[in-house]
Amino acid sequence: MSGTEAAGSAVLDLADIRITDSPRVGPKVARLGHLAAAGWPVPDGYAVTADALGRWLPAAARSELAAMLAEPGPDADLHHLARRAQELIESHPLPPWLREAVVQAHQRLRARTGLGRRLRVAVRSSAISEDGTRASFAGQYATFLGVGDADAVLHHIRKCWASGFTAHALHYRRRAGDDQLHEHDLAVGVLELVNARSAGVVFTLDPVTGNRGRAVVEANWGFGESVVSGQVTPDRWVVDKTTGAIVERAIGAKHVWSALDEAADTVVLAPQAADLAARPCLDDDEVRYLCAKAAEIESREGVPQDVEWAIARGSPLPHSVFILQHRPETAWAQTDEAPAAPAAPTQGKAFDPVQYALRNVFKVPGT
Amino acid sequence: MTTQAAAKVVPVDDFVREELYPGYKQPFGSQPFVAGPVRPFSKADNSRYWLRDSLHFSEGMVPASIATLDDAQTWGAQLGAEIVGVPPTRGSVNRLAGTHVYIGIIDVDTDWQIQARADRFGDYVGPILADFDRYWAMRAGELQSAYDHFDNLDLAGMDPGQLWTTVKDAYAFHRRAWFIHFEVMYVLTANYLAFYQLAEEIGLGGSVVSALLAGEQTFYGKTDEELWRLAGRARDLDVSAPLRHADPADMRRQIEALPNGRIWWGEFEEFLRTYGWRMEETCRVDTPSWVEDPAPALYNIGTFLSKPESFDFHAARQLAVAERDAQIEAARRAVNGSDLQRFNEALAGNQAANFAWWNEEHNYLIDRRAAIPVRRASLELGARLAADGRIDRPDDLFYLFKPELFEVLEGGAARWPDLAAMIPDRRAYFEHWRQRGPELPTMLGTIPDVVPDPIMIEVFGLSGHFLETLKGGPAEVTELRGFPASKGVVEGVARVITTVTDISRVQPGEILVCGGTTTEWTPVFGIIKACVCDTGGSLTHAAIVSREYGIPCVVGTAAATQTIKTGDRIRVDGRQGTVQVLAGQEH
Repeated sequence: MSGTEAAGSAVLDLADIRITDSPRVGPKVARLGHLAAAGWPVPDGYAVTADALGRWLPAAARSELAAMLAEPGPDADLHHLARRAQELIESHPLPPWLREAVVQAHQRLRARTGLGRRLRVAVRSSAISEDGTRASFAGQYATFLGVGDADAVLHHIRKCWASGFTAHALHYRRRAGDDQLHEHDLAVGVLELVNARSAGVVFTLDPVTGNRGRAVVEANWGFGESVVSGQVTPDRWVVDKTTGAIVERAIGAKHVWSALDEAADTVVLAPQAADLAARPCLDDDEVRYLCAKAAEIESREGVPQDVEWAIARGSPLPHSVFILQHRPETAWAQTDEAPAAPAAPTQGKAFDPVQYALRNVFKVPGT
Repeated sequence: MTTQAAAKVVPVDDFVREELYPGYKQPFGSQPFVAGPVRPFSKADNSRYWLRDSLHFSEGMVPASIATLDDAQTWGAQLGAEIVGVPPTRGSVNRLAGTHVYIGIIDVDTDWQIQARADRFGDYVGPILADFDRYWAMRAGELQSAYDHFDNLDLAGMDPGQLWTTVKDAYAFHRRAWFIHFEVMYVLTANYLAFYQLAEEIGLGGSVVSALLAGEQTFYGKTDEELWRLAGRARDLDVSAPLRHADPADMRRQIEALPNGRIWWGEFEEFLRTYGWRMEETCRVDTPSWVEDPAPALYNIGTFLSKPESFDFHAARQLAVAERDAQIEAARRAVNGSDLQRFNEALAGNQAANFAWWNEEHNYLIDRRAAIPVRRASLELGARLAADGRIDRPDDLFYLFKPELFEVLEGGAARWPDLAAMIPDRRAYFEHWRQRGPELPTMLGTIPDVVPDPIMIEVFGLSGHFLETLKGGPAEVTELRGFPASKGVVEGVARVITTVTDISRVQPGEILVCGGTTTEWTPVFGIIKACVCDTGGSLTHAAIVSREYGIPCVVGTAAATQTIKTGDRIRVDGRQGTVQVLAGQEH
């Protein structure tokens, strides 16, 4: 095959991505393209397709990797196996045709955003299967925030792909009875990093009770990573989706936040100033607006959604709001997989009788 | 003595009105109910389903029992649901077909109300479940101290004013007891259903939950054990013959005529002082307690004596507990590692606040006892009224409605002749409907396709099969399906019993076929081979007791008493939940 043919389909600008591209770029990025095409405020970017990445490693390296994954052995050895797999992967640079395609896409993105060298991006793993989406959301596949130039992007694309072979991911594969090397299972999205004042998640149902009449917003100052990774007790609002009324609010003690370390081109977890820690990171209008937008996405998709969003510094509502990604709400059916499920009312307990009773006969409308 | 000053009265006379506003009279009886009082059926009731509650009330209600029914399944249930904040239901309401009780569930019908109730529900239920022992001890203590008061009153020595006050106190207590009943019931139901839901979510299936919570000792379990012990003592003291054969009315005389008879009777009376405060049915003020008439207890002992061997309660309990623990272990093995913590917490939480246990245990404190103070005070009052010639016999009083009684005793004595004249007709009406009881439909109104409420499924047995059978109508059926309530397969001769008063017809080794059982049926499980019921789920009395006694049981068959005839040879499969009619009546 010629380099130009491969490069032509290897990298796609977000504006050209449709929902039907899901098998190539993963549902996470495909949904974002779908939203962008419909005029929604999403960060601009591009995606490296799964088949391009699948053709990255030479045949010999692929066989070696496949043989590694098929090795029998106790789970305790998975860390060792993972290190060997990742070393093998990262020892291979991306081929020139793919490097060239990424560099060009990055140049186009710098031009479109008008940010030039100041552009910072998020390099996100985007699993092809819905199962992989859950794993990716649960933090098994890597995401890198605050990445600067094209060289750094190239480096982190390889790290994303290699993150499919962490001990955690290998363990997950084993549990799923999957010891084969799937060559097309991971794409990478490269998206403009929204300069977030506040960010977080909207659940279009109450993840505690399953009540679809409500939406729940969880948020912190800065980038959304501190919320998604569960490293902070976020601010939390419960909103009646019909009336837009805020029926519950709990301001978290937000002692840390995800901030951009400009020198290191990365997002770090930093201590928060005391006055900001105790202050709500959204105002009521923002909360209601986020819920309304999330509810729109829910009705487009037909099922409850988790929506990740950010509010950019310096612009007024509604121009400040960006949708970063959304996916079907699975915490409800897959409680043990839920990454950002809020603490149940009974602290430190896995089972709260009230919560479970409300799911059953004592259920609320629409659940 | 001080002279009492004349009470100062600011007269209300100027403000006395028939109407609240022009054109509006308050409807009678609308006030104390959250949703609605006991009523006869009206045409509008065709739009929803009404389940015959033969589980609690098999024979019908006399007028005085309609007030106690009002307190219990209507007012108590409605207030309990309201205060606990049960999201989808405002409790139950009753309709009467003649004198027979049907129960309906009142849905909360707007989304906002359901949501608002859900919001406060957790606040109410959470803290109680977190410390259920203390909470139940408080409620049980309140009930027990009321019984200590009422049981020890010298009713015969009271003046008329004191006696009437006692009647009113007894009614007030009855009402309070039933609020407690439903408050606790809804709280524990939530806990049980939460476990049920978890079991569904983690792939165990909700129907296993009741078996995981079985095997707890209850007050009535101890009562049965005591009855068996007294049967053993009767053998030792050689007083078995009258217990097995004498007319209950003459039993005491015949026993005490025997050499050790007084010793045995003394032990029996000692038993009654602890275990005898129970009536035959819920709310039925017209039925005596064992303390008043010990015939049912004596009958049970006589039945036990007809079996060659004593029942080993200890072994049966150990078996039931071992069976439960084996099921718990099997469930733990079946649960995924990540779900195990939730399962263990749910199990521990349900063992600490155990609906399956309480559902049986509370009967001795509420269902079968709360109306006894009303009955005792009413009978004393009735005896005095009979002596005054107002009525013919003391229990005539049970044929007056509570509002009638209150009116006539609080200044309306002129009504006595009218009221007394109605009593014979009312007795005849009760008797007429008592006889019609067995032919009444299991369900009236619109039979639903599905009842989503697990309590209606687990306690009343409203499964899909049950509803299908009801829709199918009477047919030549040779196999019935129901809930597999207690495992084992047996064949035997059926004995169809429709009211608890006929229970003495059951012969040892027969298979009991009935509408449903309640606490007073318990001893019969010691002599039967298997049990089949029209109603009930895995949490009903018959299911629980069958497991304790280790006999097969199928409940919720919908039509067993209509399909099976006494004398039919039937096969009961308690694991499959099937009952086959093998051959017609044997003679």
